[in-house]
Amino acid sequence: MAKKILIPSVLIAFIGVAAMAHNGATGIVKERMDGMSAMGKAVKALTPIMRGAVEYDADKVRSAADVMIKHAGEQMISLFPEGTGGMPSSALPAVWDNWEEFSKISNELKAYAEGMKIAAGNGLAEDAVEQDDAMMGGSNDTMMGETSEDTMGGGTMGAETMITAEMFATMPVDTAFASVAQTCSACHQKFRAKEN
Amino acid sequence: MIGALVVWPIGQDVAPITLAGDVKKGGYLARASGCIACHTNFEGGGKPLAGGVKLDTPFGALYSANLTSDPELGIGGWTVEEFAKAVRQGISPEGEPYYPAFTYPFYANFSDQDIADLYAAFQTVKAVPEAAPANEMPFPFNQRWGLKVWRAAFLKQPATDPISGQDPEWNRGRELVGGATHCAACHTPRNLIGARKSADEHFAGNPSLPGGSKAPAIDYNTLRKRDWTVDSLAYALKTGIMPDGDTFGGSMNEVVQQGTRFLTNEDRRAMAVYLMDDHSGG
Repeated sequence: MAKKILIPSVLIAFIGVAAMAHNGATGIVKERMDGMSAMGKAVKALTPIMRGAVEYDADKVRSAADVMIKHAGEQMISLFPEGTGGMPSSALPAVWDNWEEFSKISNELKAYAEGMKIAAGNGLAEDAVEQDDAMMGGSNDTMMGETSEDTMGGGTMGAETMITAEMFATMPVDTAFASVAQTCSACHQKFRAKEN
Repeated sequence: MIGALVVWPIGQDVAPITLAGDVKKGGYLARASGCIACHTNFEGGGKPLAGGVKLDTPFGALYSANLTSDPELGIGGWTVEEFAKAVRQGISPEGEPYYPAFTYPFYANFSDQDIADLYAAFQTVKAVPEAAPANEMPFPFNQRWGLKVWRAAFLKQPATDPISGQDPEWNRGRELVGGATHCAACHTPRNLIGARKSADEHFAGNPSLPGGSKAPAIDYNTLRKRDWTVDSLAYALKTGIMPDGDTFGGSMNEVVQQGTRFLTNEDRRAMAVYLMDDHSGG
């Protein structure tokens, strides 16, 4: 029983520390944290739309895309000057050790958010709710393909595959959204200390 | 004593496997099991399954093996029975135990059909004639006989067997979570010599994963407290998006991108159903 009580209290302590860290941030660190939070809110607002859980609204998608466009790319990069890591920031030293890659992902995020805005008029994939596997190169197409490359690891959408504006113009919007989210996650894996 | 350990035979003989393998099913299982995620050096632009991914453990650095069909440097020369022994028992064709960084304890209940499917899928992997870097394990952890003691002390059957009275979706979730997708490998803390503390800290999280990242607790109480639902968890396994609009970071990004996003909606949902339910004791 003691353990059952202990685990949640450790968690609460942890959440407390995280909250304090965020509150303690000032200046440029706070500014970029606010930017990240704004983008998180945009993703949160987009999720039910992209899942087909609520009625599709292209304007809502465009305005969420605008939030991300505003905070990504050069804007984001400019908020990470050297020497601004460490507490209370969650940014890892890897940001500055791999600056080129960090910048590249920031720019990708902006490009993909712009792409999502373009794709907003396309609506969701047919039966998005049922077949949404397909959005990221889903199980039936990519993984279980007939060629050896496709079946066992090749042929997936690699980090190096840049999606062009023309591709977005014809893409279902939930596919574009998946690319945006993948960019967030890829960046967090390499450059953010925070657990989740 | 050590001499006896060195020659102490481990594992069980594998009965001949003559089933025909299904490449597609094997590919699916390989994705679910993380073979591709751990044995492909995405960071270094490596070829699929050619290995070489470094894992910094508290005991030294390990590199994932080349699992391509190269007969010398990969596993192309293995028989299906040797393959079965490696996957289910963690023992190499030479009879040596693998380090438990290879998550074979989770694969122990793979059926002969699963093994045949996986084997068939691995046959299709293009040979890459490159040796993975040698492990950098200092003494005494470079002594494989030590792993025999470890196995005797800690090796347990994975919790994948169906529980009667539970519906098929729940049991499918149990099969995946406790087996192929090996969630506990990262989300259950380990003791000083790297064994999972499954008895009383199952899914309680791991503050010090190899490489320095952390895995949060994913016991059902914590998941519920953190506002997860079956629905949002299944969706996160597909997209990496969490209920608050944040996305997974850490190695969970890789788990999704190289693993769970390739699963069917049904399988992701089954995993979520099981994870969100009180499955203590089952």
